[in-house]
Amino acid sequence: MKCSWLMPVVVGMLGVMFVVSLLVGRVWLGPLQILHELTVPTPRLAALIVTELRLPRAVLACIVGATLGLSGAVLQGLTRNPLAEPGLLGVSAGASLGAVIAIYFGMTSLTELSGPLMGMVGALAASALTFALGRNGGTLALILAGTAVSGLAAALIAVALNLAPNPYAAYEIMTWLMGSLADRSWNSVLLVLPFVVVGCAMLLHTSRGLDALSLGELQAQSLGINLQQLRVLVVLGTALAVGATTSVTGAIGFIGLVAPHLVRPLVGHHPRRILIPAAALGALLLLCADIATRLIRIGPEIKLGVFTSLVGSPFFFWLVIRLRRTSP
Amino acid sequence: MKVVRCVFGAAAVLVLSSLGDASIAKPQHVMSLNLCSDELLLDLVPSGRIASVTYYARSRSNAYRWSQAAAVPINHGLAEEVLEQKPDLVLAGTYTTPTTRALLRKAAIPLLEVPPANSFAEIRAVTRMVAHALDEEARGEALIAGMDATLDALARTKPLKVIRVASWNGAGTVPGKGSLFDAILAAAGGMNVASSTQGVRSGSFDIEELLLAGPDVLAYGADSNGMPVLRTDGEQHPLILKVYARRRVAYPEVLYSCGVPESADAAVALRAKLIAAMHAGAGP
Repeated sequence: MKCSWLMPVVVGMLGVMFVVSLLVGRVWLGPLQILHELTVPTPRLAALIVTELRLPRAVLACIVGATLGLSGAVLQGLTRNPLAEPGLLGVSAGASLGAVIAIYFGMTSLTELSGPLMGMVGALAASALTFALGRNGGTLALILAGTAVSGLAAALIAVALNLAPNPYAAYEIMTWLMGSLADRSWNSVLLVLPFVVVGCAMLLHTSRGLDALSLGELQAQSLGINLQQLRVLVVLGTALAVGATTSVTGAIGFIGLVAPHLVRPLVGHHPRRILIPAAALGALLLLCADIATRLIRIGPEIKLGVFTSLVGSPFFFWLVIRLRRTSP
Repeated sequence: MKVVRCVFGAAAVLVLSSLGDASIAKPQHVMSLNLCSDELLLDLVPSGRIASVTYYARSRSNAYRWSQAAAVPINHGLAEEVLEQKPDLVLAGTYTTPTTRALLRKAAIPLLEVPPANSFAEIRAVTRMVAHALDEEARGEALIAGMDATLDALARTKPLKVIRVASWNGAGTVPGKGSLFDAILAAAGGMNVASSTQGVRSGSFDIEELLLAGPDVLAYGADSNGMPVLRTDGEQHPLILKVYARRRVAYPEVLYSCGVPESADAAVALRAKLIAAMHAGAGP
């Protein structure tokens, strides 16, 4: 690793920002005030805001950011393409469609978890379709299949908006699609955690294969890497981890694209070395973005997905400019 | 009607039990987290007793009492704002801000969950419920008495022929059976053609369906800002203009989004417009 200081710095900043995210909001709560509120025997509103709103929100920001960073790094490694991001396999669009169906049919009024649960069903269905379509055609076929599935899911979301039973349902769908961590609870954290743990473990397990793949598909096969198995691990891992997080937060763009790019020059260009730092940086970026949405006061809270897109899109411009400079 | 009484009776019991002793003292710093409870709060107490209303309440397009709301602080329905503003009573809707409501219940902060009112019976029940919680029963009864007097006058002077009306509300949908529009239109002496052809609460019309339904008058929910919207294209279709040239009326949709005692005044204004449109349509 080129920069041995990277992980301690990122993890240290993550710890600091985690504490900051418990303090900031519409109302600033000092650390001493929070400690005092938490020791009062009957829970007061300030304590509940910290333990039931800000804490699960911060934990979820770390989980979602880490998942996006990790899966972005894995997908960039698998496709050997710097533009790959977690939505590439149709998983995010599938999860969004599942949650939109839950909102459309009013299931969200039965239980708050119906959106996330349907989102996960959508993510798994989308990834199954992607894999079935692109199974035997190599990585390019997988990417094309993912694009087709994303397109189908986007079309079906448009159908749901088109046929929305009333303007409020359409508005609710639009708002959900913007992506947010506001008002999420411990239930959301508990719901995504098992899927994220299993999914991320699968993604991390691809590291050796990704390193070999960086030499080329034929070379990787000659080194004994089973490419088909590698693709299955990536598709299933992304479906479980990104599918679960997208179903709870809505679509949050750019973190999965940006985090691996930022760590790559610092840790070297071996895909294996990028995975964990990209996950840690993804968590830090999303946590900072979520804090920023709470601090920017222009009427109602700006949605996290909107904010990451707004801040992240200039990164695309930078990629293009860099490509122009480096290309012959 | 019995169902309405049962539902609101049960809600009132819940309210009384959840408010506890807070309902006895006169709340002096009341916060509202829902547009419709904003309107009732602004109706029932002076601005000095209002901690805040929602930011929607200041919008001319959304709220009837927007100018009054400009004089009081606003909120965005967040629990953090409740912590900041320290109200002694919080009014909320039964559908909106679920997370905030759940936290307020846990923290035992006096909370009144106000159901939406889509008929005059429900307006009476909701107004009484909120007035009781604010310890402003006399003011609440006065508003209800005023509303009932207006409704009685409307019933006494009902047009001989029921006017069949088709309407588009501001969101481009058709207010259907059981909507507040339905109730206000019935009080005005009209009949909503969509209440038999469309789904409950809302649906949609296209121009062909509209012409086939053959209403006497077309009604449009108008934005108080007068801002142009996409649906204006449909309203301005040459065929519509040809058939309904003089039988089109606009109603201010802010009066139709929340059931409040002033909804009776909306019926009076609508009656006048409908009758004028009928006369204009019958003319040479």
